[in-house]
Amino acid sequence: MLMKLADHAGKILAELAYADPRIFVLDGDLADSDGAIHFAQRHPQRFLMAGIAEQNMVSVAAGMAEAGMRPAVFSFAAFLCYRAYDQIRICLSQANQPVMLIGSHAGGLLGRNGKTHAAVNDLAVMLSLPEMQVWAPADWADVELAITHSLLDSAPSYIRLPRRQFEEATHLPGIAAGSRWLRPRQRVCIVSTGLATHWAMAAAELLAGRGLSIGLLHCAQLKPALQWQEELASADLIVSIEDHSRFGGLGALIDRLHLPAARLTLGWPEEFGGKSGPDDELLDYYGLSPERIAQAIEARVRQPATINHS
Amino acid sequence: MLTSPSPDTLQVHRHPELSLADEARLLRQDILTTLYDTGGGHYGGSLSVIDLLLTLYRRVLRIDPATARHPERDRLILSKGHAAVALYAVLRRLGYFDWPLSGYASFASALEGHPDMTSVPGVDFSTGSLGQGLSVGIGMALALRKSGQHIWVVLGDGECQEGQVWEAAMLAAISRLDRLHVIVDCNRHQEWGWTSPDGSRPPPLPGIADKWRAFGWQVFECDGHDYAALETTLQAASAERAQPSVIIAHTVKGKGLPLIERDPIRFHCDAVSADEHAELLGSVDLGFSERVSPGNGQEQGAEHTA
Repeated sequence: MLMKLADHAGKILAELAYADPRIFVLDGDLADSDGAIHFAQRHPQRFLMAGIAEQNMVSVAAGMAEAGMRPAVFSFAAFLCYRAYDQIRICLSQANQPVMLIGSHAGGLLGRNGKTHAAVNDLAVMLSLPEMQVWAPADWADVELAITHSLLDSAPSYIRLPRRQFEEATHLPGIAAGSRWLRPRQRVCIVSTGLATHWAMAAAELLAGRGLSIGLLHCAQLKPALQWQEELASADLIVSIEDHSRFGGLGALIDRLHLPAARLTLGWPEEFGGKSGPDDELLDYYGLSPERIAQAIEARVRQPATINHS
Repeated sequence: MLTSPSPDTLQVHRHPELSLADEARLLRQDILTTLYDTGGGHYGGSLSVIDLLLTLYRRVLRIDPATARHPERDRLILSKGHAAVALYAVLRRLGYFDWPLSGYASFASALEGHPDMTSVPGVDFSTGSLGQGLSVGIGMALALRKSGQHIWVVLGDGECQEGQVWEAAMLAAISRLDRLHVIVDCNRHQEWGWTSPDGSRPPPLPGIADKWRAFGWQVFECDGHDYAALETTLQAASAERAQPSVIIAHTVKGKGLPLIERDPIRFHCDAVSADEHAELLGSVDLGFSERVSPGNGQEQGAEHTA
């Protein structure tokens, strides 16, 4: 059965709510699209359809958190991060209230919805907020980790989830962690987050078939940033890949490490604000399909100056 | 979910000796002195809201200043956070803290320019970016629905231009949050706005009572400087069932200080000279004697409800 990661978020919270009376879910009239429906059906008394009013919804959640609850707010990432940004800034970040923001349909692949519903710079605006914890899970185990971690913490968190549906059993290799190697580290390493980790996995397989072994570090947790410095210290080339603008997201976090490795930053171009269309066409056009990613990495690696093959 | 300390420590903290009018005079002195020491600030709105804040804290709210975050306390959110100095002055006199107000908004002071729950005991939620406090109050009222606390949110009439206020007004009424109460400090002015003395331009929120009523709220009106009227109206709002309630408190920007009352646009946020400061302190006493004269409050109430 195909499911969005946000569906998993709703289901996981519904399970946890049986043992944790603090959990409450608010939704901005998208429950059947943003995953909140799974909670609403099982805990109708602990669910509030707060109307098409995201600013109010975020501040309401903050008030609940002040009074001891652990609310999770569901909507599309764009409407949470942009429509309610000042409420997130004041009521969650500055007031440091433990509210979970579950943003579905994050990134640049919005199908027919297109640019108004896209969130391609949400990481930039959320990573720059004090106290805010930021997660970009890539499978259901990541989602579970992000939610359980957020419930243990006393800070607000933003969990960014893509629109894409996966087979329910889809999971990445290894055990969910803030970050983990999905392919062992090599001289050339990809660092990816969220949905882009699936693009990166496919690209790395293509390259392996062409004789080029690439390491792949998947980062589910982006803030607080983990010990990527040590993980990546020996790399010659670090390729960051994200379903986000090349400005202000994972690529910027990697650049900030000031490692000696050469860098290739892949993501949506800064001038891209979103576009209607099928995922495959968009990814291919903007150089983010597995084949285009593989080509970009291969071209960079074959430049004699970039990698020392000795 | 809710833990000790016991609710027995919660109570209304009436001043053992001072009347509300006497204490308001001291609070006006606190506000004037603090803003003068600070080098200026929001005189007008702090002085329009102070009487209703004082009445709430001394006659209505069940609190425990020794346990500022007592989970079962009533909440007050000063959504019009630019009147922070008025709130701080009241909290200090209630014993939430004893730091001098004179450091207000300075780098070394915990008294942030707008109310900050992370640094000032007694601030129930951080505010300053207008229009957010009522939504926070809804969250508190929902979370505390079964335990009986009242949540009070103080809005400015200019603040009600923010769309979020009406998102919240809708949701509160739909949710039948009858322990959620709004007081609008209706001083009919905003920083650069619309009211003109001849009435040719509208107040910040024309038809204010009708708007709240249309959104499903029980509406009360009273003179926001008449302590008896305020107390009666606050108690009536507390007893309201099935609907959230709003009190339109008709106030005067800079109330009690003629220099400020005459020039509300300048004194939305401004600094005063040493001479002006002396004049203001001098008029606190005059304002006191005027205010306690019988009939004054009633005349104002009649004027506003006409």
